[in-house]
Amino acid sequence: MKIQIDTVAYTNRLRWLPPEHKLTFATTLFLITFVSHPTVQILIAVWMSIWIVVYAGISAKVYLKLLYVALLFWLTSLFALAFNIVASDSVANIQNDALAGLTIGFFHIYISFNGILQGLSILTRALASLSCLYFVMLTIPFSELLEVLRRIGLPELLCEILLLMYRFIFVLLNTASQLWTAQQARFGYRTFNTSIKSLGLLVGQLFKRTLENYRQVSLSVESRGFNGQFRVWHPYRYRPSKRYTVEAIIGSTILLGLELLNHARIYTRV
Amino acid sequence: MQEFILEFEQVDYNYPNTKNKALNGLTLKIPTGKKCALIGQNGCGKTTFFLLCNGLYQRNSGRILWKKRPIDYNRKSLIQLRQKVGLIFQDPEQQLVASTVEEDISYGLCNLGLPETEIKARVEQALVEFGLTELAQRPVHHMSLGQKKRVSIADVMVLQPELLLLDEPTAYLDKLHTHNLMTTLKKIHSSGTTILMASHDLDLVYRWADWVFVMGDGRLLLEGKPAEIFNQREIIEELRLEIPLIHEIVSTLELIDEKAVLQKLKQQISNQFQF
Repeated sequence: MKIQIDTVAYTNRLRWLPPEHKLTFATTLFLITFVSHPTVQILIAVWMSIWIVVYAGISAKVYLKLLYVALLFWLTSLFALAFNIVASDSVANIQNDALAGLTIGFFHIYISFNGILQGLSILTRALASLSCLYFVMLTIPFSELLEVLRRIGLPELLCEILLLMYRFIFVLLNTASQLWTAQQARFGYRTFNTSIKSLGLLVGQLFKRTLENYRQVSLSVESRGFNGQFRVWHPYRYRPSKRYTVEAIIGSTILLGLELLNHARIYTRV
Repeated sequence: MQEFILEFEQVDYNYPNTKNKALNGLTLKIPTGKKCALIGQNGCGKTTFFLLCNGLYQRNSGRILWKKRPIDYNRKSLIQLRQKVGLIFQDPEQQLVASTVEEDISYGLCNLGLPETEIKARVEQALVEFGLTELAQRPVHHMSLGQKKRVSIADVMVLQPELLLLDEPTAYLDKLHTHNLMTTLKKIHSSGTTILMASHDLDLVYRWADWVFVMGDGRLLLEGKPAEIFNQREIIEELRLEIPLIHEIVSTLELIDEKAVLQKLKQQISNQFQF
């Protein structure tokens, strides 16, 4: 999955847009999400999905799969929000809130109306902020994101660590999958016991190979003249697009306007 | 008179905490402007030799001369040495550190602290020279091994070294990519770079090199032109190195008697092909 996200980030149709534009856009919407109401949040989620699927040309299947994974987490927390437990003598206090209830001994378990509402408002907020996050993840390659962060003042050391981690996570994944395939080929995961044993071997081997790899890499970096700072050159060949900039600005303004209208309505009602 | 670009004189090296010497009084002189090959079995000290050439390891005793001057191990001289001696490791995976191809090629140039316009010009030139223009923005982990190898060569050549060291460059490469690699090396050599390549592919060595070093147990056993080397049948066979088939054929053809030649040729070819 990780590798798929990465491939998409390098091949999507919005790759040539300047990464700082994309990042600013996503961050703005992300901030609006935090202060806004469910209707605006739903609009943000829909609009962002259009950017991702239609403008960036990312397959809806990949995008939905990502959303689905995140929604699983929401489902697990919904359970905790919707079900409440009170002592059975205080049932009267929650009469208005309970949709259905069941008394077991000293306890009363019930489904909370407010809890479900809360769950739904979390859902809209999660969908909106997730779509912003996925927009960043799916349309900006990591190395470009890092370059933007470096430019806006993320400490050099952090940037270097992130860059190297990003490069070598793939080496690690590769090694792990090679080992795993080799073990599979010799029935390493046939029963539960052998699986545990094989997994232990795999982790141990990975550690050993990581150290070995580290030694080799430090040699090769040294031979290429490493001087204490990890610098590479980034060519800047992005093309800002008027059409997309206009849509982003107008859309964000409308969303903000809607949000303000919402607030105004509440105040006039009061 | 032949000049030598890099000379090892009686160099010893052993890895910390081991008894066996990886290099044992190695005396080896790399002739300037030649295509040299280094052969020998696994563990004969080839890789150690390369790491010493690049100043990554320090010899225990003996002398290492770069253009007749002993190499220094202070920071500044080391950086200069490493710019002039390009080392390409066997596994390109370990050599590529940045995330996209052009970034990776720029890495060595950035380390030298060159101005940005020059970095740009040299990276772009390297991309064209090594046929990497289309891959320029691709992440390194999306490439095949042959492509990674090409990038790792571009990485080093962009620094314009005078001596290029390659540690088994054809390992893991198929016929086509090996062929492409040799074409690239030919181009590099014709632009004036001395090349030393370690290889197990003796056919390749025979076809490509003009000077061959044979190493064993951390020492130089033989050196000479490929034909001369493979004529020393006893030593080559003692080292369990095979004599290239082409050499067998060519050296047999040099015999005079025609009938005897054909007979011998048949015999040898059939011998070679039976496992």
